[in-house]
Amino acid sequence: MATETHCPYCSLQCGMRLTGRRVPEVSAWEEFPVNAGALCRKGWAAAGLYGGRERLTSPLVRDRATGEWAAVSWDDALDRVAAGIRAAQAEKGPDGVAVFGGGGLTNEKAYALGKLARVALGTSQIDYNGRWCMSSAASAGIRAFGLDRGLPFPLADVEETDVLVLVGSNLAETMPPAARHLDRLRARGGRVVVIDPRRTPTADRADLVLQPVPGTDLALALGLLHLLVAAGAVDEDYLAARTTGWAQVKESVAPWWPERVERVTGIEAAQVRELAAVLAGSPRVMVLTARGAEQHSTGSDTVLAWINVALALGMVGTRGAGYGCLTGQGNGQGGREHGQKADQLPGYRRIDDPAARAHVAGVWGVDPDSLPGPGRSAYELLDACGTDDGPSAMLVLGSNIVVSAPNATQVTARLEALDLLVVCDVVMSETAAIADVVLPVTQWAEETGTMTNLEGRVVLRQEAITPPSGVRSDLEVIAAIAERLGSTATFATDPEEVFAELGRASAGGPADYSTITYDRIREEGGVFWGGERLFASSFNHPDGRARMLTVEHRGAAEVPDDDYPVHLTTGRVLAQYQSGAQTRRVRDLPDDGPFVELHPLLAGRLGLATGEAVQVSTRRGTMTASARVVTTIRPDTVFVPFHWVGANRLTNDALDPASRMPEFKVCAARLAAVGRG
Amino acid sequence: MAERVVVVGGGMAAVRLAEQLVGADVRLTVLADEPHAPYNRILLSAVLEGTHSADALTLRSPEWFAAQGFDLRLGARVLELDRDTREVVLVDGERIAYDRLVLACGSIPTLPPIRGLVRRDGTLHPKVHPFRSLADCRRLDKSVVEVRAQRASKPSRAVVVGGGLLGLQVARALSVRGVLTEVVEGADHLLAGQVGPAAGGVLARDLRRLGTEVYTGARAVRMTDDGVQLDNGALLPTDLVVLTAGGRPSTALARRAGLMVGRGIVVDSTLTSVTDDRVHAIGDCAEHRRRTTGFVPPAWEQAEVLARVLRGEEAAYDGLRSVARLRATGLEVAVLGDPRTAEGEVVEVTNPIAGSHRRLVVHGGRIVAAALVGDLSRVGLITQLYDRGTILGPDEPGQLLLPEAADAPTTLPDEAEVCACAGVSAGEIRACGTVAECVDRTRATTGCGGCADAVRRLVGEVGPVRVPVG
Repeated sequence: MATETHCPYCSLQCGMRLTGRRVPEVSAWEEFPVNAGALCRKGWAAAGLYGGRERLTSPLVRDRATGEWAAVSWDDALDRVAAGIRAAQAEKGPDGVAVFGGGGLTNEKAYALGKLARVALGTSQIDYNGRWCMSSAASAGIRAFGLDRGLPFPLADVEETDVLVLVGSNLAETMPPAARHLDRLRARGGRVVVIDPRRTPTADRADLVLQPVPGTDLALALGLLHLLVAAGAVDEDYLAARTTGWAQVKESVAPWWPERVERVTGIEAAQVRELAAVLAGSPRVMVLTARGAEQHSTGSDTVLAWINVALALGMVGTRGAGYGCLTGQGNGQGGREHGQKADQLPGYRRIDDPAARAHVAGVWGVDPDSLPGPGRSAYELLDACGTDDGPSAMLVLGSNIVVSAPNATQVTARLEALDLLVVCDVVMSETAAIADVVLPVTQWAEETGTMTNLEGRVVLRQEAITPPSGVRSDLEVIAAIAERLGSTATFATDPEEVFAELGRASAGGPADYSTITYDRIREEGGVFWGGERLFASSFNHPDGRARMLTVEHRGAAEVPDDDYPVHLTTGRVLAQYQSGAQTRRVRDLPDDGPFVELHPLLAGRLGLATGEAVQVSTRRGTMTASARVVTTIRPDTVFVPFHWVGANRLTNDALDPASRMPEFKVCAARLAAVGRG
Repeated sequence: MAERVVVVGGGMAAVRLAEQLVGADVRLTVLADEPHAPYNRILLSAVLEGTHSADALTLRSPEWFAAQGFDLRLGARVLELDRDTREVVLVDGERIAYDRLVLACGSIPTLPPIRGLVRRDGTLHPKVHPFRSLADCRRLDKSVVEVRAQRASKPSRAVVVGGGLLGLQVARALSVRGVLTEVVEGADHLLAGQVGPAAGGVLARDLRRLGTEVYTGARAVRMTDDGVQLDNGALLPTDLVVLTAGGRPSTALARRAGLMVGRGIVVDSTLTSVTDDRVHAIGDCAEHRRRTTGFVPPAWEQAEVLARVLRGEEAAYDGLRSVARLRATGLEVAVLGDPRTAEGEVVEVTNPIAGSHRRLVVHGGRIVAAALVGDLSRVGLITQLYDRGTILGPDEPGQLLLPEAADAPTTLPDEAEVCACAGVSAGEIRACGTVAECVDRTRATTGCGGCADAVRRLVGEVGPVRVPVG
């Protein structure tokens, strides 16, 4: 009998069917609306996560003196974890222990993890890798609309627009089944615009491709708005009825004429004009941003600038138009709604809001005053590890920090400075490898839980196969730690029970799950929180209006100079996912290792050919990989995929002041052909 | 006590300075002599052309100045600078005290020596239009409408005096409006202040192709009711004459106040007058290292540097890099630095047949100046390399000027991956008889769907398949 579930990877959460009890077999689930049976090779090969010899099935502890691992019983491992937590908190108080979660965790786990931190550990020091994913878009969405939901409409609405502008998204590689919507849109006569320093496979399907200097998407948006104002193409009636702040925004774009935009962005003024004309002449325009626009120290302002374009055109809230963010991680959306973010409580509530604290404390059966306040953001938390003011113990779930954190050499050193690092994982990831205690947990098809996809659609991943003996679910681990620490609050281990509690905790919050049940999800093909389409008649600020906020181009935190003369940007490849802890171990997925993509002009300057080794250096680190010479990238920019150790040793830890997003997508780098200096 | 900073001028440099002083511990007064809120002067030709609405020119509204706590005085004409008492004297007698004085007075158009331009009563001939301010632009716009109405079916005509950047922009704007336009330039080629004769020649050809006649090496000497008389004897009948030639830094106030003035008000690298360290000058009226500029980018750079100086930070203006761009439909010009005088090796491609001229001046591997006319491909990249001072390889400057190689269609080798989603090679697809069989056996086309065309061709008809880029 087949089990209906969802792919273990990206935010599309493609539906699929699984059969078999030990190693599942994947088949299409054509009735599920988001992907209608289509899958990319990661999805088809998902069963390769099972049956591998690298699967951890026993808790392990590492002897720091010898570096040797020893298998121990669950009781011994959990005792060691509890003792370490007590020691850290005895020395440094509640905040002596930190929790680091992930955007791939189910809603139930994200919720339980937040509760563990706030109730059983009493620590404010919790954040997660989703901070490095969509936090800039989330921050911008909350400020502009009063609400953050990646897409405020179903993904299929893309097909109904007239112009789709993809800013920093390579969805044809990162979420391939979504690219089918582009083809259907174009077959209908709609146009696709791609803005990316690389001419990606997504750009191959576009009618207009603009290749800006990394870190200048904001200036491009200002320039477009300038031209829309100049052409009288803004929707003044909409602006007057549904927004505030337009007068200031309008004035702020007056100095962004196309030739100035050209000098900043490296995009020819004629192309800026062309795009503006396309936008001005189209009844429906949809702007979608992704990591390329968002993973910057100016990421949230960049998103606000593009939101302003969509608002000025009067598009937000119109069907087949508007603004959305293409979330990255599997549960990027749900992961930020239920309390594993430093400043939030379940239901997307603010932890510094007294009413929110009272409500959630009521559900948890604790005194509101016992809940800690907001803690450090992800990078700041990691950077504080093992310092005098920072935590000395940390619990990690669903994250491979050593590969995925920016300025990774520094972060790894901080993790190594902890007195206790506990990692829950399915394999010995690069982060688990430096832990003191590794707890083997269930994964994907072995467990049940909900995910909230990029559309805000809550879907159900169902247990399809039997987990190997020796592993426990994350929920069981959380409950066991809470119990050992003597917590009086209850920590359920049944996912459906946890989901019901999550529903109560989120009730009345911005992301209210209280009416969603597993049965409804099964019956309705997923359930949208807040409704299928948002903002049709009002926004979520008290006055119902969207905020147009004035933003200025500041540029990247680090720009090329004589020592580091090129821009470095990072991203994904189709066959790998995130830090690769899963996909690099799937035999059917090609793993050619990292590479350095560069233009023939730059390759010629360095005397490099495809396949030759090239060393990339930044002020923070160095990596060596083989060169891939392509005409599709800007000649002043190089690209390195981030699925392998190395890329993030190079990246910049400059943070966005609003979202605390690190600047993954641009820094200054130097290249050298290996062996030739 | 916060310093009182008084800015004389309300143009683009002054606004930029004000923006950069938001939040600074200063009391700012801006004395703008025009009656409108500060506006974007460089877009005036676009307003004339009709591609930019005039009401979208405002850079910063009076409300913005008020919200920042800045005192903006519109229509404030300055009579005198009193450096002894540190006061600015307005024409109405009001005296405004300063701790720091910033002169951002811009430039004033000079009237060319054309007889009949100014009538006996001192007013301009009614057909004559200077083109500097928003008021000038509005007046010219009105005249265009009137002249076209009067002329009815017959074409109306205009003569633009001056073949510099502004002259060419205005000429194109008038031409786009349907006015038959001619350009008169005294130098032997167009844009003589920025580019050499070859580039100027290409531009003249472009303009003629667009229907605008160009007279170079010719001076307008007399203005009559019949038209404009040139020194080569030609008479150009016309309805409108637009003066775009000649502007000089506005230095009268500074000169009278005893500040050192060359072509402009002489300042050091902190934009401070060499005569009085409480006086600064930025923009078109300033002279730095014996150079004055007439463009916005250096003026803004100066404003940004001066703002830091006024905040007490270390900052210096080096004036090294400027980019001038022509904004006019159908004419493509970018000038980086000074390509006529910059020292270095010259890499140049001229194609008079296609109407393009591109010149890079390279020194020590860096692009130190460039002129791109008629073909702006890669202008964004070349500007980046120039601004960043990137050291290029020996072949790069030449390659930058060559067309980008197109990817030639080729036959896919069997091992080439066609379906990235399912990881299927061309050979595996060729081994299938039909698309359906291919889907069944390999799952090609079932992911993103992008390879559907390629698969159809591989299983069906023989024929070249484009290699996916990258």
